[in-house]
Parts: sequence; C-alpha cells; structure tokens
Amino acid sequence: MARSLWTGSLSFGLVNVPVTLQSAVRNRDLHFNQMHAPDGSPIETRRVCAHEDREVEWGEIVKGYELDDGRWVLLSDADLAAAAPRKSRTIDIERFVEEREIDPIYLHRPYLLVPSDEAAARAYALLGEAMRRSGKVALGRFVMHAKEHLVSIGPRGKLLTLTTMRFHDEVRSSAPIAEALEAAQAPGDEQIDNAMAIIAELEVPFEPTRYKDHHREHLEAVIKRKSKGQKIKVARPEKKQSKPTPTAPDLMGALEQSLARIRGENGAQAKGAKKRKKTPARAPRSSGSRSSRG
Amino acid sequence: MPRSLWNGTVAFGLVRVPVKLHSATESKKISFRERHSTDGAAIEHRRVCVKEGREVPYSELVKGYEVSSGSYVVLSKEELAVADGPEAHVVEIEHFVDAAEIDPVYYESAYHLSPGKFGEEPYRLLHAALQRSNRVGIGRFVFHNKSHLAAIRALEDAIALHTMRFADEIVPEGEVELGESAPKAPTKLEVDTAELLIAQLDSSFEADAFHDTYRDALMAVIERKARGEAIEAPGTEPVTRENDLLATLEASIKAAGGGKRRSSTPNKTSSTKRAAPAKEAASTKRPRKPTRTRGGH
Repeated sequence: MARSLWTGSLSFGLVNVPVTLQSAVRNRDLHFNQMHAPDGSPIETRRVCAHEDREVEWGEIVKGYELDDGRWVLLSDADLAAAAPRKSRTIDIERFVEEREIDPIYLHRPYLLVPSDEAAARAYALLGEAMRRSGKVALGRFVMHAKEHLVSIGPRGKLLTLTTMRFHDEVRSSAPIAEALEAAQAPGDEQIDNAMAIIAELEVPFEPTRYKDHHREHLEAVIKRKSKGQKIKVARPEKKQSKPTPTAPDLMGALEQSLARIRGENGAQAKGAKKRKKTPARAPRSSGSRSSRG
Repeated sequence: MPRSLWNGTVAFGLVRVPVKLHSATESKKISFRERHSTDGAAIEHRRVCVKEGREVPYSELVKGYEVSSGSYVVLSKEELAVADGPEAHVVEIEHFVDAAEIDPVYYESAYHLSPGKFGEEPYRLLHAALQRSNRVGIGRFVFHNKSHLAAIRALEDAIALHTMRFADEIVPEGEVELGESAPKAPTKLEVDTAELLIAQLDSSFEADAFHDTYRDALMAVIERKARGEAIEAPGTEPVTRENDLLATLEASIKAAGGGKRRSSTPNKTSSTKRAAPAKEAASTKRPRKPTRTRGGH
C-alpha cells in the first residue's frame, strides 16, 4: 500500500471526514547515481560545517534565513510550526467552483484522499457523490510539510483527488510575450481556416495510454547494451554550417502541403476514422466533470 | 521575460514554429539554507568518492545506473544523449484534443512559449487556430534528458505548454487499498442535502481572492525571532466526530445560511476569511500586500 503522506480530516460545513493523503502519481524515471569517473566508485554527499570543517549529523542542522543586513535567523521545527494556522490537521473546504474555471497553470501536485475508517467512508462517499452531481470541485486550504497549500478537491472514480495549487502571485504574466508579438503580421483568415482544418484532421479523443515514454525505453536499451559490454555509438556533433540558416517561412505553402498530406494519409487509412469524432472542432467547450473519467 | 529554458520548434503538419520555453510559474515560498545549530555556520555539501574518501570536482562526475546491488553501468553525457533522439529539439503535435477531456491529474509543469527567430508569424497563426478551435495540441519532446508529453494551448495573448504525465505515472484507482473503509453508497436524502450545502458555498474561481497567509505568518515568526523574541508552539485543536451525518449536514446548512454570523458556529474558529461565501469574500477582498521574498534563489 502506498505510503500516506499526511493524516487529518477533511472539513465540509460541520462534517469532518478523517482521511489520509497519498500521491496520485509516481515517478517512472530511471534513477541515476553520481559516480566518480576515474574509479567508478559511488559518490556520497556529506554535510560539512564550513566553520569547523567537519561532517555534521542531521540533528544538528537547522533552517537559516538571511536577513537583509546579512545576519542569519535560525529556525527550529517548533518555530516553523508556530507559523502554521491552529487547525493544522484539517483541510477546510471554503467554497465550490466549476472545475473548468481553474486554469491548469494553477495546478501543482495531485494526491488521492483515502477515508481513514468505515465511518469516514460514508461521509467521504457522500461528498464525492454530491460534487459529481453538482459538477463542482471544492477549494480549500491545509498545512502540509510546514507550508500552507491552496487545494482543489474533486471526485475521480470512487476516490477524491486533492490537487495543490499555486497562489496567484506565483503565476507569471504572459504580457511580455504578447508585446513581442505585436509587431508581427496578423494571420489572414484563409491561413487560420487552413490551420483549423489541420487541427480538425488531427483531432482525436484524449487517450493518454496512446503516448508511451520513448525516451525511457531508449535509455533502458542503452543501459542494457552497455551492461553487456557493448559499445554505444555516439552521434558526432554535426558541423554548424550543415544546418540551414533560418529563413522567413512560407506559411501558406506549408499549410496547403500539410493538408494535402494529412488528407492523403487519412484517406488511405480506415474511412471510419473521421466518424469517431464526437464533436466538431468549433463546438463550445463542454463542462468537463471528472466523473466521466477513469 | 524570464530566461528561456529550451529552444526548439513546435511542428504541426509542415508548419514549423520556432519557439523558446519559459517557466509560467515561480515559487514564492520562503527559502531557507541549512545552517549548523551549534555555531550557526553554513553547511556545505561535499561530494566525496566513497572509495578514496576525498572530495571530487564536478568535472569528474558521471551518471551511474545500478543494474544490480552495488553494480553500476556508467554513462557519459554523450551516451545519455543517444536516447534523446530527434524529439530533443522538436515538439511534434501528434493530435489535437478537447481540453475538457484532459483529466487535470495529467498536468505537470506550466510554461509559456515565446516566438524564436522568424517565429512571430507562425506563432500568431498557431495561437489564433488553437484559440478559435478551442483545442489543445498533444505532442512529445525531450527536455533535460527526459521525455515529456506536452499539451500546447492558447492563453488569451500567448501560447502555453504544459508538460504532462504519462499514463503509467498515474496511480490506478484499483491500486488504492480502501479495505474496511470502502466507501458506502450514501442515501438520496443525504446527497440532496449535501448538494444544498455545496450550492450555498458556490462561487466562481478568482485566483487573486486567495493569498498565501502562511507565507506572511512565517515572515512574522522570522522577524520576531530576529528581535530575540521567544516563539511559543501553538496548541492543536481536537477534531470532533459526528455520528449523524444528515443532522450535521442540516446544521451546516443552517450555519452557512445564517451567513453573516459564521464565527458563532459551534465547530469553527473565528476566522473571517475561511469558508466565507462568495459574495462576502468578494467584498472583503483584501488589498494585496507586497510579499517579502528573498531575491536570487
């Protein structure tokens, strides 16, 4: 069973639901260690006191904050806990919103909430069902790892997910990019129509299992070959002059050729492919509820 | 504009858009450094060769993959780059999807794309087409020696790229052991009542209505400690359990409906901003204070 990262309760009105939190995702990256090239020995990181020049134990390490005048304030875990709100073991639901109003830029890390016991399971299931029916997700706050998090909570299958979110001032403005674009020529209607035709030809339902991590597979293959003592062929760096210098693109030409090619390919494939499309590309965004997903 | 993290091309069909990638977010978390508790000195992280017991320079480091206990395959940077393949510089849009179909659990990190050299016109075209069609492009690319699934979508005035998790990185529902605590189906009356409570707390999402109050509280603790004040540990509040779910829901609705006097509700502490219904929250929205953060980290 996955490790629980936090134990507390979810508070909805006057209802308290004891829950534990576990990660909704797992990292599948290959993990590398740092090694010493000349002797192939593993590398250890040692924490050394700069003043005494000796290795120090974990227990002797505290958090330091540098003041503007260069002095350091040392903080213990108890000091950090003092900054946490009183109710540090509850997730307080403050309000409910439409999920699609939350721009994905705000989403940080997803977790799963798991009810702690049978009594909790009833209230847990109730909250999930009520959110599913109303098509809303909850917004709330809670403290984990000595930090307060803004979170959204929504139903996903039989479970509730909790997603930590970024605060408004942690999201950067895209205005400088928009300014840089102002001088460029606006696309013409015909170009946009052609680009939208390409989008329509390439439109599919979102099926995440369709996309495999090729890089991980390639890397595993490289490791396997190397472990058998085979030599890894390293591509020689290409000489710079062989690269064509970038030129202003012929957009219309590229669009028309793309369409011809895509339509040719799609025509050659099963004819039913286009019929599978559920909605035309211009359809307004449907209100996405998580209930319909895995 | 923040520094670009990656330069490459977004390709859709034969149209190529030279782009630069910039982080769309920045953590405002108060950052700390490790210090030695006994003398307050800085803590240095030294990389030490286990065999020789001496510190080694960065240039002598390589990456090793542990194939079996204690046995490593060492890969040079060039060998690692072999796995990057052609996706290292191009995000090829493979499909377009309806954004509403994407489960938010897939979104990983958010970036802005800006146009690269000669990229302004195709950039504007892609932006216009994504915006009008209301679709999101899905592709793959390699960034930082790792492959990412990417979602490319139009913001109001620019294009955003989200790195996405692969399907096998999402914990399947079936793997979550609910055991004894498998959710039981609620009654219709309970669901109806809970829906009423949701309706009472219904609001629209206004990101700037939420301020990181913890950051402010932590800064206050740091300032007090700097003045030499003693910091007292907070007491914890017991959490009450209720037996009658329906009665508790009804009491919650009453409490929330009473609205203005929320601080007098029995189970809540007097926090004015917490659980404030939408209208109240909008009217009491505080002016945003400039946040003190450490520069250059």
